[in-house]
Amino acid sequence: MEDEHEPTCRPNGSTSTGSGDDISATNAPPPPSLLQIVQKKFKDNEKVHSIFEAYQLKNQEHANRILAVVSSLSGGTYAIISLSIVRTPIRFPTDLTCTNVFPLNESFQILVDGNKGFKSQLKFELLTGDGKPATFYYYIMKSEKESLFFDDFYAQIVSFKMSMSDRHLSPDFELSYVWLNDYRQVGEVKQELKNRESEYTVYNNYKIYCATWNVNDKSFMNSNMNLWLSCSTEPPDIYAIALQELNNSTEAVILKDTRLDPAWIRKMLDSVHPDSQYEELRSVRLVGLLLTIIVRKGLKAHISRCRINSITRGILKMMGNKGAVAISLQLNEGNICFVNSHLAAHMANVAERNQDYNIIEKDLMFDDDQRHIRDHDHIFWIGDLNYRLQIPPDIPASWLRDKNNPFEAMLIHDQLLQERVQRNCFVDYMEGDIKFCPTYKYNPGTDNYDTEKMRAPAYCDRILWKGDRIEQLAYNSVMEMRESDHKPVYAIFNVKIKTRDEKKYKRVQEEVLKAVDKRENDNQPQITVDTTVIDFGVVTFNELAIRDFTVSNNCPLPVNFQFRIKDPPLNAICEKWLKVDPHNDTLPIDTERTIRVKLLPDVRSIRGLLKKIRTTNLKFDFDTLILHVENGADKFISVTGSYQPSCFGLSMETLCRTDRPMCQYSQEDIKQLMNDVTPDYRVTMPREFFLLIDYLHKQGPKLVGTFQTDKPQLPLVGNFNLVRDWLDTWSEDPFPGDAQSAAVALLLLLKLPEQPLLEPLVGHLLESKSKAEAMEYIDILSAPKRNVFMHLCMFLRVGIECQYYELHQVASVFGRILLRSKEYTRGDFNTRCSEVMMHFIGPDIMDNPPLIGNGGGNVQVSAQFLNTS
Amino acid sequence: MARGFDHLFKLLIIGDSGVGKSSLLIRYSDDTFSGSYITTIGVDFKIRTVVIDGLRVKLQIWDTAGQERFRTITSTYYRGTHGVIIVYDVTNGDSFANVRRWLEEIQNNCDVVNKVLVGNKNDDPDRKVVITEDAQRFARQMDIELYETSAKDNINVEEMFLSITRQVLNHKLRTASNEQQKDTINLKHPKNKRKNKCCS
Repeated sequence: MEDEHEPTCRPNGSTSTGSGDDISATNAPPPPSLLQIVQKKFKDNEKVHSIFEAYQLKNQEHANRILAVVSSLSGGTYAIISLSIVRTPIRFPTDLTCTNVFPLNESFQILVDGNKGFKSQLKFELLTGDGKPATFYYYIMKSEKESLFFDDFYAQIVSFKMSMSDRHLSPDFELSYVWLNDYRQVGEVKQELKNRESEYTVYNNYKIYCATWNVNDKSFMNSNMNLWLSCSTEPPDIYAIALQELNNSTEAVILKDTRLDPAWIRKMLDSVHPDSQYEELRSVRLVGLLLTIIVRKGLKAHISRCRINSITRGILKMMGNKGAVAISLQLNEGNICFVNSHLAAHMANVAERNQDYNIIEKDLMFDDDQRHIRDHDHIFWIGDLNYRLQIPPDIPASWLRDKNNPFEAMLIHDQLLQERVQRNCFVDYMEGDIKFCPTYKYNPGTDNYDTEKMRAPAYCDRILWKGDRIEQLAYNSVMEMRESDHKPVYAIFNVKIKTRDEKKYKRVQEEVLKAVDKRENDNQPQITVDTTVIDFGVVTFNELAIRDFTVSNNCPLPVNFQFRIKDPPLNAICEKWLKVDPHNDTLPIDTERTIRVKLLPDVRSIRGLLKKIRTTNLKFDFDTLILHVENGADKFISVTGSYQPSCFGLSMETLCRTDRPMCQYSQEDIKQLMNDVTPDYRVTMPREFFLLIDYLHKQGPKLVGTFQTDKPQLPLVGNFNLVRDWLDTWSEDPFPGDAQSAAVALLLLLKLPEQPLLEPLVGHLLESKSKAEAMEYIDILSAPKRNVFMHLCMFLRVGIECQYYELHQVASVFGRILLRSKEYTRGDFNTRCSEVMMHFIGPDIMDNPPLIGNGGGNVQVSAQFLNTS
Repeated sequence: MARGFDHLFKLLIIGDSGVGKSSLLIRYSDDTFSGSYITTIGVDFKIRTVVIDGLRVKLQIWDTAGQERFRTITSTYYRGTHGVIIVYDVTNGDSFANVRRWLEEIQNNCDVVNKVLVGNKNDDPDRKVVITEDAQRFARQMDIELYETSAKDNINVEEMFLSITRQVLNHKLRTASNEQQKDTINLKHPKNKRKNKCCS
């Protein structure tokens, strides 16, 4: 990857706390760096060593991540914690949440894609334990000065992992990953609930019955085990029954037999307290070691997790004839661990026993959450621990065999008690007072100490505990069970287990959720606008109007805003007659921005505007802008005002319904006229059209050079608006322009209406086969359209005859305007337009009978027009 | 649990201008009420997380402008909505009469069926003009649950939001399990076919 990295190069798009320029400009104290913010996410004794910018793909979307390499002083361990970004820019620890935890334990792996060189290969996977690997991607460049480049990140992880495996070997250092659990249960809510735990926590009493028996490699199906297992007055809630030397056959030892013997478990279930119903929760076996948890029926519902594990400490420290089996479970909110261990035997092997204990304590771990034995609230360590009574040489060996000895006197010589005092084993564990005879070694079937090998009696079989709120109720052996060379031992405890008061929990949870929601609601980015209505007043065709409004950011976060793009068919932030600038921007805290709105109903947009006026039934607005705040609400900005109608854009029919100049009509009047479908016309031909033709007709040779194109040059020349006003006021004044501007106005008058002049017959005309057919179609047009068309043709014919303009040119220009069509998609459209027009303005037309009725149409129409006006 | 919720639902509050849509939302999200009337010009949203049957349900509740001039624009916000709250004002007969139109809006703009009808401002019997029986009859006819609420006096607001949330949640869980069933049927189907072939 080396050659891809350009350490000097920094990308411009930074997701974080603003650039250095911003700081110097505002003179504000420097904001905390991203590394500092990430550090605040963790506890005081947890150090963030580095951060790395990466991203993950979630449903094909990039989800940015910050990977923090963190170590815990208390746990002595490292981990990578993946943080997702809640808000940008990142200013507070709450802008980040933990999404994943990767402890750098022995199973940790970082997998880098072999194929380098492609952008898509900037990919790696993090893997811990048997979980699924998490895939991350990263960019060649980084945006944070403090974040590492991938190679450095990779090297750091590898070196941290190696340093930890070194420490795994040193026996006096306890590694723990439990600190990570606070980041697994991520989210503000969980954190907050944990902080308020005391408010909803109660401690409920549970009776726990621990029992241990070394069965001496025999099966005692006929033994009266209830003597051992139902010694409590009340039925216990949980039994932890530990057996040793279940089967020490060579095969079992070598094969590390872990099969469970249902006969034993059935026997246990038959022997537990008769006053309650019980079921097996879980058992774990390793060769001779069996640990079975039996619970009162109904208790399973309160046990949320239950894990087993074992560790071998036998021959060569690999075989299963010695070692430990353990079960970890969570009852309500309390984590309980039961260990059944069989430690190294023989009087002399105290150090080995201590070592066995220490290795079990250090290495036995439950895989679901890397929980060690010590990471439980309540621990019960049961088993044949094999510590002996070691009397000084001056006391005769036979002294121990005297059953009249006080227990205290014998226990002075107990190796376990001595080792515990010296803190060589079972540090911080408790054991009840022993008020029973040594449990080892007896001649089976008797209460007599071993006479075969003359082993010294010893308290091999013990039950210890560690944790809060544990009270021992009984600790005894059962002399009457004589089948083995060991006597069984039991201990009964009352344990106050941390339990959630559901009612109180619900209340606290609701409060926490409300508080977290409130914070989210309060942190919603917001902007204020100085007005939500932009009133343009009266707006005129082809007249630009400008209004400004101000958006300001008064909230404690920088805000990104943009105008939302509206649905199809618009696909834009506003209508065509509007321009908004800027479309989007970022507002730093306590700043404002002027937004300029320009309104111009011009030749490109008038059609749409008139259609909107015609079809709006509620209050008319030129448009409504949607001002969207990123991660926040939307504001509507109404762009309002009224349109002063002009003749441009209105259909000939609509114009023929008017009886006074357009300037005397309002937007509402014109809406009614546009929606009027009755054939009641006030005039036969629009006066505006007639006036233009009349003026043009009088220009004679000045018409040379007009009608060269159907597309007027934009912007329209300066005096166009004078022509507009002359037409819209029916002015008596001389025409304010020349032949050219009148020609442009005529073309626009014909071109701008929503429908082309020859609609609804455009299709038929374009398909028409003969002059006669085309003429029939013209005949059935509405009167205003027919009259306008005829009058126009007559006017054009005159100009053609006088050679002011050329026939084909004019036929093409007017054909395209009058026969505008979206449906006709054939390539010969232009040709057809010209051909149709030629029927009416070509020279041979004179040889044909008059178009409609009589040949004096022009005169007649003009007369009618003058009559009605 | 990383995201802090099990389900995220979008709810939409619609109804005539001035019926108290924003007040209902503020009452539900902030537990406050302000007597002064501020027209919503735009679309606001608030979030609130509730626990239903042990599931954490995060609601994103959108409050829309009720004014007629924004009708076209607000209809674009129906997309992706899981549940709709249609509000009228029990002291305003017109707002109740318009409920039909709002129901049509829903029909035209979104495919969700989860709805609740809300008669707000139900805190002054003297001013009440839409009587409960009429509203109830209409609601039954339209197959919608009716709640008469007061954002001002905090009456029935929690219950109403809980009801629509439950409706949405049940709908989602039902749809999910239906889909699962479909999958199992699809898996079984070819197997059966093959079996038949073997037999014949």
